Amino acid sequence: MEAVEGEGSGPPRYTLNPTRICGEDILFCVDVDAESLMEMKATGANGRPVTRLDSIKQAILLFIHSKLSINPDHRFAFATLSKSASWLRKEFSSDVDSAMSALRSLSATSPSGHADLTHLLRLAAHEAKKSLAQGRIFRVILFYCRSSTKPHYQRSGAQKLFTLDVIYLHDKPGPDNCPQEVYDMLVDALETVSEHEGYILESGQGLTRVLFRQVCVLLAHPQQRSPQDFIDFPKSLAKKLPLSEQTPGAADDSVPSQ
Amino acid sequence: MASDYFPPFIAAQLNYLITHFPQAVKVEQAWSGSRNYPGVLDRFTLCIPYCLDYIKWDIIYNAEFPLSAPDVVFGPEDEQFHPFRLTGSEGGDEAKPLKMILSDWSYKDPTRLCALIQELRNEYILYQQKRAGAVNDYRLKFEINTMLSREGIEIQVSSGLEKPEEVKFAVPLLDMNINKMVHGCPWRHLQKIQLQVVYPIGKKYTPRLKLISTTELKALFSVEDVKLPTWVDGMCMAEYLPHLEESLQGQIMEAVSSIDVRRHFIEALAPLLGRPLEAEPIFCRKATFLVASGAFTFQAHLSIPTQFPKQQAALMLMSNQHFNSHHAPIRSALLTDYPWSPRWDISQMAERMFDFLLDEAVNFKRYCNEMQL
Repeated sequence: MEAVEGEGSGPPRYTLNPTRICGEDILFCVDVDAESLMEMKATGANGRPVTRLDSIKQAILLFIHSKLSINPDHRFAFATLSKSASWLRKEFSSDVDSAMSALRSLSATSPSGHADLTHLLRLAAHEAKKSLAQGRIFRVILFYCRSSTKPHYQRSGAQKLFTLDVIYLHDKPGPDNCPQEVYDMLVDALETVSEHEGYILESGQGLTRVLFRQVCVLLAHPQQRSPQDFIDFPKSLAKKLPLSEQTPGAADDSVPSQ
Repeated sequence: MASDYFPPFIAAQLNYLITHFPQAVKVEQAWSGSRNYPGVLDRFTLCIPYCLDYIKWDIIYNAEFPLSAPDVVFGPEDEQFHPFRLTGSEGGDEAKPLKMILSDWSYKDPTRLCALIQELRNEYILYQQKRAGAVNDYRLKFEINTMLSREGIEIQVSSGLEKPEEVKFAVPLLDMNINKMVHGCPWRHLQKIQLQVVYPIGKKYTPRLKLISTTELKALFSVEDVKLPTWVDGMCMAEYLPHLEESLQGQIMEAVSSIDVRRHFIEALAPLLGRPLEAEPIFCRKATFLVASGAFTFQAHLSIPTQFPKQQAALMLMSNQHFNSHHAPIRSALLTDYPWSPRWDISQMAERMFDFLLDEAVNFKRYCNEMQL
């Protein structure tokens, strides 16, 4: 909603306009297909391997604690995705303990074969109307874990009632998988349904640090977002270069490993 | 008991009262007065705001005789409050609304209880004024004579063990609509500031003074930060109030223009710390940034006080990579002790905050690593 200044090649200058923003109702939808049990490149405290699902649970808790520190008015609910979506915890709440107990009950299923987002999108549209009636906005954050199963959904001419964000964890591209095609489908879904700018972040590196950083990018309030191409956070706190040497940049996901 | 309930006609009147009464009335407790219908709540205590405090009245319906108007039992210190003693020679025009509400009582009309309590409260204001007028203190008599004409003033004579000890005044201040001064104002109710003046009776001390505001105003302006002008010996309210109001008006206008100072500060931080994840856009009291020191990513949560830039902002850092035993991210204490001067210009303030964060990131990372061991 800001005019692009200069020649339009860089991100617009940030202005904080006196326009009210709403409390968010955020639905986390976690892919619990068998591929969520793929291991990350980290081990837990007792040397046990950490799965994608384990990391997603911790990422969601990081998100909730952070979001509530920003504004205690935001609320959360939980759903899972295997063949289709189903509720894990339907009531929206800002209570951290009940979020923890919902996440504890998340467990993986056997391979589902396909991923249909139709029910998730319908349920989100239905819930979004309730949130809007309370002066709140609705968001879905989808964590998707499958490298070869392209999600599909029935298109409807429905109005855009909520924002959709996606975090996509996948294997490295190879002859037996198609993460790029999966990614393209997720982008398509996001662009079709999302009311405000939805963000999609992906990683095939298996690093928990990257996942945690990505989930924090999603903390950005949909009503105050810039287009994804102009995301300039996390901002590196390096010694400042003179103005002439600075270039605007998008978040760099290819962080060198420590 | 969970099964106790108000009969529908009482519930309707009570709901109407709570949603329509000009002040925020509360029900403190409810009980049943009937032996025959023990689970039916037909009596309750109302807490009614008055003179920056509460008065408590018991409203006594009778579930066995629903057509009758309720009785009202006033507080023990108000034994002399008799609004229902309405003879032709007393009261005159003032008594009429109360008389009409009671004689014309309809239990089916949900507005009745609200009208009754409103009229009783109006009567109570007059009763307290009369009580205060009867107090044997020349200073108070003078105040009451001069102040009674001021709109919205409320008086309460507090009773000691044997005789009244203090008279409290609640004086509404500033005839200005603060809500309209704030761009994008989210307040549901008109914000108000009142001065509480407590006069000791029969003693020559200067009165005790306290400013009290509606709650939501705190986002913009805290009455606790206001240094009240001195009450010079021998002063009266008519002399004191104009000074106070002039000073308050100036402070409120300054508070409103401070919003933009905070706004520009947040905007000046964006090129250095990245676009905020979220910034509170109306009062500009909070902003959160996502930053990195090498591969260590963390959030910087900024709280900006109403007295900014005289009082500096507080920072809380939250790691994205370190968690405690409850799986919560490790956070720093509130950081307020960093180099600061309110005389810097906004861009200098932003740069110095950046410099501080650059250095503090190293300390914070070390702290997080230690906390995780």
